[in-house]
Amino acid sequence: MTNQSNETGEDQVNYDDMNKNRKYALLIEAHSQDLYKYALWLCKDKAMAEDVMQEAFLRAWKSLDSLREAKAAKGWLFTIFRREHARQFERKQFQYKDVESMDSIADAQMGYDDRPEAFALRNALVRLPQEYREPLEMQVLGGFSCDEIASVLDISASAVMTRLFRARKKMRQILGHESTPELGLVQDTRG
Amino acid sequence: MNCLEFKRLALSDPSSSEVSFVEHSDTCPDCLKYVGEVRQLDADLAESLNVEVPTDLKARLKLATEMQEESEQRSSISRYAIAASVAIALFVGGFMVSNQFGPQPGEIGKDYQKLLAAVVEHVNEQPMTPVWGNARAERTVNTLMASYDPSLSFNEIENLQFGRICPMGKYRGLHATLESANGQTTFAYIKGEPVGEMLDHSYEGYVARVKPVRGGNLVIVSRTQQSVDQAEVELQKAMVWDI
Repeated sequence: MTNQSNETGEDQVNYDDMNKNRKYALLIEAHSQDLYKYALWLCKDKAMAEDVMQEAFLRAWKSLDSLREAKAAKGWLFTIFRREHARQFERKQFQYKDVESMDSIADAQMGYDDRPEAFALRNALVRLPQEYREPLEMQVLGGFSCDEIASVLDISASAVMTRLFRARKKMRQILGHESTPELGLVQDTRG
Repeated sequence: MNCLEFKRLALSDPSSSEVSFVEHSDTCPDCLKYVGEVRQLDADLAESLNVEVPTDLKARLKLATEMQEESEQRSSISRYAIAASVAIALFVGGFMVSNQFGPQPGEIGKDYQKLLAAVVEHVNEQPMTPVWGNARAERTVNTLMASYDPSLSFNEIENLQFGRICPMGKYRGLHATLESANGQTTFAYIKGEPVGEMLDHSYEGYVARVKPVRGGNLVIVSRTQQSVDQAEVELQKAMVWDI
């Protein structure tokens, strides 16, 4: 734990000493891959995902000076991306695919695993209500902690835990893993 | 923590390091199995959402930002130029003045970015290419070109050093090198729709030029502008299309 704290502290000191170009290069290096997977899943189209991502990174570049902590970079970048995605969605009215129109061929064309079990998992995810799906996508695709998701979605950590609980429970039901009665709501027992 | 509480937390945060959560999983085989299933579902879901990230994505993101910056700087300079022109025009009472800062930058198409990024990234990935004798290099390049684009061949280029058909990002084309006074100059010929106009751009310490040519695009990458200009002259003489 002490080592981790020291590392974080050292990272921050190094980050403070970097110039803007170096910070930006690190941002791309560290997070572009996760963000691309998240973007493709949200946009369901390679070109569109890259467009939104490019805009998001341009915005990140312009406001990079406002990012004070290296450890906050990922959440900060995903927040910018989500806003840009919402903006473009509003502006262009992209045609998103709903559950009924999802098909494994289209998924395979985007580069996703085309095995039936993989398709069933993606299909189950899409069938979740958006408020449950979002935090699960961020945790599974972005590797975010509950606190980080809370920060990006601007809700409390306990609300995130509730949504994640419901998301996974619903997923298990859809996939036939769960037939148990209600487990009730989760309580945030931390601190 | 009882089993019900454990399962609730397992569904919310299966990687929780909370002490009571960890202790419970150590003592309750059923709950350990349960959280194992939840973690496996997460892992399977992550795998089902995994895709191959384009190899040139990072390069394109960097390039797009650099181009945007460059474009904004030029626009800014142009705005100053216009303001200066108006002021001078008012001052001299109607003399026509011309913009000293060159043409306005045109809209830069994404094709430029993708082509440049793909080639520069490829050059970065392979900083050391073999140096062949000129005769071997010419023979190889012409043989390769016959399979890649039969209509194109190369006349003698004295300083040609190396050539190969390579994947470059999402493209595939001829990757070749020329010896120049300032070190090695790389050029790539990629078949496809030619981009709209010639563009020079500095990127990651390189000067890169993309030029529409017959049947595709020529991308020249070097450390100096002089080497790029020189290579373009040489290639213009050497490239021959049999159409």
